Amino acid sequence: MSLTTTKAANAGLHGVVAASLLRYGLILALIVVFAIFSAITPTFLTLTNLQSVLVNNFPLLAIISIAMTFAVASGGIDLSVGTAMDFASFAFVSLVLAGQPVAIAALAGLAAGALVGAFNALLISVIGVSPFLATLGTLFIGRSVQQLLTNGGNPVYLPPNGVPEVFRFLGHGTLAGFPVPLAIAIIIAVATAVMFVHTRFGRITLSIGIQPSVVRYSGIAAPAYIAATFVLVGLIAAVGGLILTATVTVYIPSSGNAFLLNAIGATFIGTTLSPLGRPNVGGTILGVLLLSIVANGLLLTDLNFYWQQVGTGTLIFAVLALSFINRKAGSGA
Amino acid sequence: MTVIPLKQPSTLQQDVIRLEGIVKGFGGAQALAGASLVVRRGTIHGLVGQNGAGKSTLIKLLAGLHQPDGGRIEIEGQAFDRLTPHLAEELGIHFIHQDRLLVPTFTVGEALFLGREPRIAGTPFLDRRLMQRRAAEILNDYFGVRLPNTALIGDLSTAEKQIVQITRALLNQPKVLVFDEPTAALVRREADILFRLIRRLRDEGVTIIYISHYLNEIEQLCDHVTVLRNGQDVASSPISETSAAAIARLMVERDIQDMFPKPVVALGDEILKVEQLSAPGKYEDVSFTLRRGEVLGLTGLLGSGAKELVRTLFGLEKPASGRIDIGGRPAHLSNPTQATGRNVALVPEDRRRHGIALDLSVKENTSLSSLDRFTRFGFLDRKSEQREVDALIARLQVKASGRDALLRTLSGGNQQKVAIAKWLSRHSEVYLLDEPTVGVDIGSKVEIYTLIGELAARGAGVIVLSSDLPELIGITDRILVFFRGRVVREFASSEATADRVLAESTGSPEGQRHVG
Ligand SMILES: Nc1ncnc2c1ncn2[C@@H]1O[C@H](COP(=O)(O)OP(=O)(O)OP(=O)(O)O)[C@@H](O)[C@H]1O
Ligand SMILES: [Mg+2]
Repeated sequence: MSLTTTKAANAGLHGVVAASLLRYGLILALIVVFAIFSAITPTFLTLTNLQSVLVNNFPLLAIISIAMTFAVASGGIDLSVGTAMDFASFAFVSLVLAGQPVAIAALAGLAAGALVGAFNALLISVIGVSPFLATLGTLFIGRSVQQLLTNGGNPVYLPPNGVPEVFRFLGHGTLAGFPVPLAIAIIIAVATAVMFVHTRFGRITLSIGIQPSVVRYSGIAAPAYIAATFVLVGLIAAVGGLILTATVTVYIPSSGNAFLLNAIGATFIGTTLSPLGRPNVGGTILGVLLLSIVANGLLLTDLNFYWQQVGTGTLIFAVLALSFINRKAGSGA
Repeated sequence: MTVIPLKQPSTLQQDVIRLEGIVKGFGGAQALAGASLVVRRGTIHGLVGQNGAGKSTLIKLLAGLHQPDGGRIEIEGQAFDRLTPHLAEELGIHFIHQDRLLVPTFTVGEALFLGREPRIAGTPFLDRRLMQRRAAEILNDYFGVRLPNTALIGDLSTAEKQIVQITRALLNQPKVLVFDEPTAALVRREADILFRLIRRLRDEGVTIIYISHYLNEIEQLCDHVTVLRNGQDVASSPISETSAAAIARLMVERDIQDMFPKPVVALGDEILKVEQLSAPGKYEDVSFTLRRGEVLGLTGLLGSGAKELVRTLFGLEKPASGRIDIGGRPAHLSNPTQATGRNVALVPEDRRRHGIALDLSVKENTSLSSLDRFTRFGFLDRKSEQREVDALIARLQVKASGRDALLRTLSGGNQQKVAIAKWLSRHSEVYLLDEPTVGVDIGSKVEIYTLIGELAARGAGVIVLSSDLPELIGITDRILVFFRGRVVREFASSEATADRVLAESTGSPEGQRHVG
């Protein structure tokens, strides 16, 4: 009997090691990447550079990735997060140019993003199209609609003197010492993290992503929850669209799509390296940090743009390998 | 010259399988703590024990699906540190696992030959014709059934899927065949076919290991039985030297006085009324009522319509005509949300697809159907959720490392208990229980029967579907027998016997009395 207890203790220890590897794998990866870039480029580990990562790259990608995390948690994906950003941005700029107050324009922007989400929801929950195909369709349609609206894809500028003050604040101001975009990203991250863990909506969304048939057999109207999820995704992406517009004071058709692949990447990294393999906001944020730092570091090494993409791809492979090793360690315990 | 018998690996060993002192833990939880199992050639060897005792784990070690932490494995006199699935197959050991799912999009033929498809000689192309002919031959020879080769696995009943799995194992011409709760999904007629098959295989020289919670099956079928408790073997003896009652006592460490504790409950108002309900091809003209406090049993063979009727009552299928009243008001049930909205609960037959999610925790599964109860302004009150879940786990004796354990890590019977627990935390008025005790050990069955009695006493109406006839008779007040889509007979449970119910459900009643 004493023999078996030692055995159990060993297995327990092994399990703890595997679990902590999973839990802290992302942070570990961050530290490693950090160390490498600090060593090979002199400019990486400077306050200005790190600030620029946190202020310029991080907030927008974080917000879009959080939106993506909801879509993935419900068992789908949203390829039209960029479209929601663009529509929000277009509505915003158009109304400001038409002389509407910024608040009204911003609300219209949010509504436009939510509308893109509602269109996806209609396709997915009412008509029954798979999320992948539905949002791919929205992506294509959205691109064409934007070209039609802008005479073949011309940017719409806000007149330099006509940019309202609030606007500058949104893009470049500070809030309690934080740059406004970063502050908004942090607020959204905290709110959604709470939503996943502490609300009924979060619990049901995650359950649908894990086994929709059981949710249905529990008497829960899964399609309604999926629909709500996609509207929420559009809404969160619209916030990103507004911040983007406020930063660059211009609407460029289909510019939101630039975030799509990185948002999927960050969500996937966060999901894979979480202990339960579930989509989660914390993991997504760490994934965004990892991707942002790698992109920034590669930029500083003077490597050509295409090699930066290779860097991101390599990172994703590395995550896959790490999760595989972890799973093996876990099951062998 | 004296002959000294030498122990040579090449000679035929008397014991095909010797597992000794096997230890296996899962990250802290000790599934096996020194379990031994010795199986003689050409015997049917029963393996029994409570839910979570370690039966499936022991079998999976033999299959090479888990690696032991310690102990000896000896097969045909040859010692192994560990086995792999490939090695097990080479040694001629084949398995009907408790929880192996077939790919639903495969055809029967593909499922049978997956992994060793015959090819057209000299080409890389599959010989589909040969595949399908052999499949049909085996199905007919061993089971006397015909399954269309092109039928999709996903469209088959649970019993038919099981037949496909068994047939797949037989195609390997096994030396040892291991069944992990094969009859859990079978109705009695099908189980009888299985028993004949198992005896025939034993007589042909195949060694059988047989896991079941039906102790009378063990008594009738097995030559030898080993009892596991808490990961250790506590007894092993020839079946002739023991009895079902003695085995039960060894398993649960107490006497089971009353297998079917049924409280006397005064019947209340009509809670459910079904009138001339028809769904062509499934059931025809079904009418009955259910009163508060009543436990009504439904039974019938595969395709008799009883299951489809229960699905209809949960909004999973639509009737073509007829009427359903719940609590005196008409109910239009076109999806499960409407059914639960009218306080109907269903414990479904296929627990792994519909009842529980393997990748959700015990807590998340248990509270899924009653989240409203733990929600304030959209936020979960996790304290009260945990309290409720902990109480239910304790009540149903769910063996798990904690409320946060994923269902994947629970034994089959304990998963079933969770599938029931999730409906207990929601106070429903009509409970539909489809095979509620499948895979549950004998002690926990009694606990579930007690619970059913309590639900009735609380004023709910309960409908039980079960192919375990003694159970059905023991826990219900009335039984409706379905045959070819119609209710052909109603029994008061006190007057029913398993034989009479079975005779009615196979369409061969002694007399020609019918209801209505
Ligand atoms: N993959 C796993 N991870 C963690 N624990 C596990 C795992 N598989 C089994 N266990 C635990 O090991 C114990 C034995 O489980 P096992 O499946 O062998 O029981 P069993 O005797 O087959 O029970 P049942 O009659 O319910 O099928 C249980 O407590 C179970 O929770
Ligand atoms: Mg088992």
